[in-house]
Amino acid sequence: MSTAERLLSDDVRQAIRARFPRYATRQAVTLPALHLVNQRLGYVPPEAVAEIAELLELTPAQVQDTLSFYGFFKQDKPAGRVRVWVCRSISCAARGGEDLLEYLCKKLGIRPGETTPDGRVTLEFAECLGACDYAPAMLVGDTLHKDLTREKIDEFVASLQQ
Amino acid sequence: MAIVIIDGRELEIPARQRLNGIQAAARLGIEIPHYCWHPALSVVGSCRMCLVEIGNRDAKTGKISMLPKLVPACNTIVTDGMVLVTDSQKVRQARARVEEGLLLRHPIDCPICDKAGECCLQDYHFLHGQDERRADVRPFTSRRRDVGEKVTLFVDRCVMCSQCVRFTREISRTGELMVTGRGAHEEIDVVPGFPLDNKLSGNVVDHCPVGALCDKEFLYQQRVWYMTRHPGVCTGCATGCSIWIEENQDRIYRIRPRENPQLNRWWICNEGRYGYPHVHNRRRLIRPRRRDGGEIVYLDWTGLPNELAGRLGQAGHLAAVLSPHLTCEEAYLLGKFVRGLDAAAWLALGPVPVVGQDERFPDALTISAEKCPNRRGVEAVIAHFTGRVTTFDQLLPEIDQGGIRGVWFSGGYKTDFVDEATARRFESLDLLVVQDLFPSPLSERADYELPAAAFAERDGSYVNRADRLQSAPWAIRPPAEVRSEGSLYWELLRRDGLYDSRAVLDELTREALYFSAARGPVPEVGIDLKVNLLADASGSNV
Amino acid sequence: MPTYQPVLLANIHKEDSHKLAVYESGGGYRALRRVLKEKSPQDVVEMVRLSNLRGRGGAGFPTGLKWSFLPEGHPGPVYLCVNADESEPGTFVNRVLMELDPHQVIEGIILSSYATKARTAYIYLRYEYPLSLQRMQAAVDECYQAGYLGKRILGRDFSLDVYIHRGAAAYVCGEEMGLIESLEGKRAWPRIKPPFPAVEGLFRKPTVVNNVETLACVTHIADRGVEWFKSLGTPPDPHDPRDPGSFGPKLYGLSGHVNRPGCYEAPLGITCRQLIEEFGGGVWKNRQAKAVIPGGLSTGLMTEAEFDTPLDFSGPLKVGCLGLGTGCVVVLDETYPILDFLYNSCRFFAHESCGQCTPCREGTRWAVEMIERIRAGRGRLKDLELLQEIGDSIGIIPGTTICGLADGAAWPIKNAIGKFRDELEDYIKRTNPEGYIVTEPVEALAAIAD
Repeated sequence: MSTAERLLSDDVRQAIRARFPRYATRQAVTLPALHLVNQRLGYVPPEAVAEIAELLELTPAQVQDTLSFYGFFKQDKPAGRVRVWVCRSISCAARGGEDLLEYLCKKLGIRPGETTPDGRVTLEFAECLGACDYAPAMLVGDTLHKDLTREKIDEFVASLQQ
Repeated sequence: MAIVIIDGRELEIPARQRLNGIQAAARLGIEIPHYCWHPALSVVGSCRMCLVEIGNRDAKTGKISMLPKLVPACNTIVTDGMVLVTDSQKVRQARARVEEGLLLRHPIDCPICDKAGECCLQDYHFLHGQDERRADVRPFTSRRRDVGEKVTLFVDRCVMCSQCVRFTREISRTGELMVTGRGAHEEIDVVPGFPLDNKLSGNVVDHCPVGALCDKEFLYQQRVWYMTRHPGVCTGCATGCSIWIEENQDRIYRIRPRENPQLNRWWICNEGRYGYPHVHNRRRLIRPRRRDGGEIVYLDWTGLPNELAGRLGQAGHLAAVLSPHLTCEEAYLLGKFVRGLDAAAWLALGPVPVVGQDERFPDALTISAEKCPNRRGVEAVIAHFTGRVTTFDQLLPEIDQGGIRGVWFSGGYKTDFVDEATARRFESLDLLVVQDLFPSPLSERADYELPAAAFAERDGSYVNRADRLQSAPWAIRPPAEVRSEGSLYWELLRRDGLYDSRAVLDELTREALYFSAARGPVPEVGIDLKVNLLADASGSNV
Repeated sequence: MPTYQPVLLANIHKEDSHKLAVYESGGGYRALRRVLKEKSPQDVVEMVRLSNLRGRGGAGFPTGLKWSFLPEGHPGPVYLCVNADESEPGTFVNRVLMELDPHQVIEGIILSSYATKARTAYIYLRYEYPLSLQRMQAAVDECYQAGYLGKRILGRDFSLDVYIHRGAAAYVCGEEMGLIESLEGKRAWPRIKPPFPAVEGLFRKPTVVNNVETLACVTHIADRGVEWFKSLGTPPDPHDPRDPGSFGPKLYGLSGHVNRPGCYEAPLGITCRQLIEEFGGGVWKNRQAKAVIPGGLSTGLMTEAEFDTPLDFSGPLKVGCLGLGTGCVVVLDETYPILDFLYNSCRFFAHESCGQCTPCREGTRWAVEMIERIRAGRGRLKDLELLQEIGDSIGIIPGTTICGLADGAAWPIKNAIGKFRDELEDYIKRTNPEGYIVTEPVEALAAIAD
């Protein structure tokens, strides 16, 4: 494959290779590589899977196998600019988390797993964010939104418009 | 020496043997059901069907103490004093629950599933399952998904034993198969653009304990209980894997590996697995015929052997081309016959088909580049009669010179083996007898065209590339007018009764040192002829 | 009871508590210095063994005993895996430690690596903790700078590299053998034991997997001594020679229907009632509690009548719960339907089951489908028996599965039906008085012609 046709840029490849010395096998770099590609592209398309496999000296099936286990990496198109994880586990659910998830679904017009048509937001449900002390909670990118209420969700959705 | 107690019975295991619970119980004839364990693959212990109770018998007091929890027999190496219980209420209940779990969302496909009759899910349901269906799901039929050229997947029949995935990672080392998803939504799949494409791919169908992975060639062709299986030897290449030939009413429907720890272990390659359609190809020569000038005369077998012997006797100096597809016994009889007519007759090895390079699958088998089963055996027979081996290429100039007047060419080739130019070199002969499977430039020039038997119709033994001699009894009867090489040569030699390959082998083992190790009964896995050759002080191998 | 001075949470309210300078100013890394100067690795193993420190990740296995399974004289390499995949619903205490006092954890990692002769430690950190990732990585970088990590630590013949390995939202990666398979780059199907990880773990080398809070305890045992550690908690039951006791401080998470959810530290053995009343400000909205989950969702339910059970390694077992688990309590008030709890639990475990073992894969799916049907008003009383059977038959306790996820899936079912059967039967009788169900049709999946 010529350099022009490759999906993964040189610096992403470099970053993946930089992980090799940390582990006894190249296969162990699978998850870090998936994360690196996901961060760069917003998803991990099949072409990237093949390229990762080549770098790691694995078969594409081995990489795809691992990828598909997590249900975390999108493959058809990039996730939204912001990925919102609304917790639905017991502590949050007990304090209204599921209703708030439904509310957010309606406000954004999408179901969990989907991305808004304008590509701004991907909504997901999370299984216990480990923020039970701030339940109900949601993780927006790297920021934890705590003690959610409908008002706070309204504010959040409004902030997305800016 | 370790003593293991299984269901109250004692089993002695020699000191250095490592056996798991399944293997140990099998030695006592106790079958512990399992889906995911296979002796050749890594142990995952995931199906949970082989759960047993284990405990310990105190060496001094004889007191038995059992562990409270079940353990999988596949991952339990039996040790001295270990107690295994495979038939208690607890074990039976655990098995029944695993069966129930697997049947919860299993498509009701038995009536249309290839695996019926040899399916672990079916068998274990009858042996270990429960009578009542307690799940509340309406039956459905499986989706089908293409995974490769030879293999198709019925997705929903899969029980997630992962044998197929482990096969492609550990044995063929091609890694095409994978599990996708997590939990109850897991499926077997391939990455688009990277199908299950290796030369051992057909073996995953054997590994699959249910009807999920199916062989496209065999799909919907025959019910397994109508087939009879015969032990045989694959004649596709010089490796000579042990096989089962499965047929119904003389039609082959399937070739499967026959376990041989010394040779192909549990597998065969796709060339061998799918190398039988030619047996039933309509192009096959099936009647003996003669060319009189431009005319073709169809012959009757009555009197034909005499006619052939007569014509050959008259021809003068003879040559016989012994195909590397002949069994040792057939080669011996043909050689004896021709040398009986002409003591100085040439015996040459037929063309040896070679395609590409040897392909080695470490831990599994090697696919030989040499695509015939018995070059070594036939060479040994030729050398026994003539003191040397003449190749086909060495024979041709002798024919050109004109000293040889009559040639018997035995073929049995599946594919083209001779071109027009080479065939023309036989035109000058007074007599050409060609015995083969399919028409060829050579058979078109033959005075006598005799139909050959296909591999499954022959009886005798083959010697593979590693000097292993294996018996290959006949599996199907040839088409009506085909007389197998063995029976024809037996008759030409005017021997009484029917062709008896074992008697011929006995003769051969007495006459030729190379074959002497096969004097007694030949084991199912064959016998390494080198065993006696090492003892031969002269160092020669004949 | 005398006011207990937090040790694990001693620093969290300081400004920049996550920074090395602040940690050191409070006495951080003095334990490491002393140990490297005065003690051998074997001394440290012995110290931890004598302390009877038990794992805080959920299983409560004695840490010193786990370390002692490492084979003597193995050429190595030996690996330490830090289980920072905290995913047990209701649990968040590791997060607090990593965000607010990462060095405490790292000092424990270094001490434990020294003891076990590990030269590489991987911190398997769950994806959902981005602030922990930031803080832990920064702390690791500070340590390399300061000579606490890398080659020849503090001038000794002891080197250690620490790498953070980020997860991707799968609960089963918190299971020791699932973590190892995930770290190796494969799907996280927990590997069968034997062989045990101490003998053949990560990359088939000797490996120890320890929880974040456990490692933080190692720091304090090294700093303050075994005596101090054993002065806290519950001593062993004199009638049970195999009971190692429940020693040391514990981080108790409290969430759900309480006025002050949060992370609280107390010696092992406070009761549920004490936690709710004295730390949590009582049940919210002036309501009564119906039940709690004592230590993360897997542990099941404790009824209000059982609230005086000490939350140590033996207490919850005595009232039929799976165990102490993570010690993170979730309070459910009197208005919260047990069926909702059961649905949330079964849905969680069906979603997270790795799918490898038949009983768990099929059992968790069957359970959630039955509960969905019950909720939709099409339940039968018989379903409760089937659910009970699933609960009793899956798990490593009966031996029918490879890992303990199944036990975690089973216990909420067992406790919900065992302790709140009337409420469940009531719901079924009310919503489906006929007891008649229509078989759920599954879409006939069209065969694809190829």
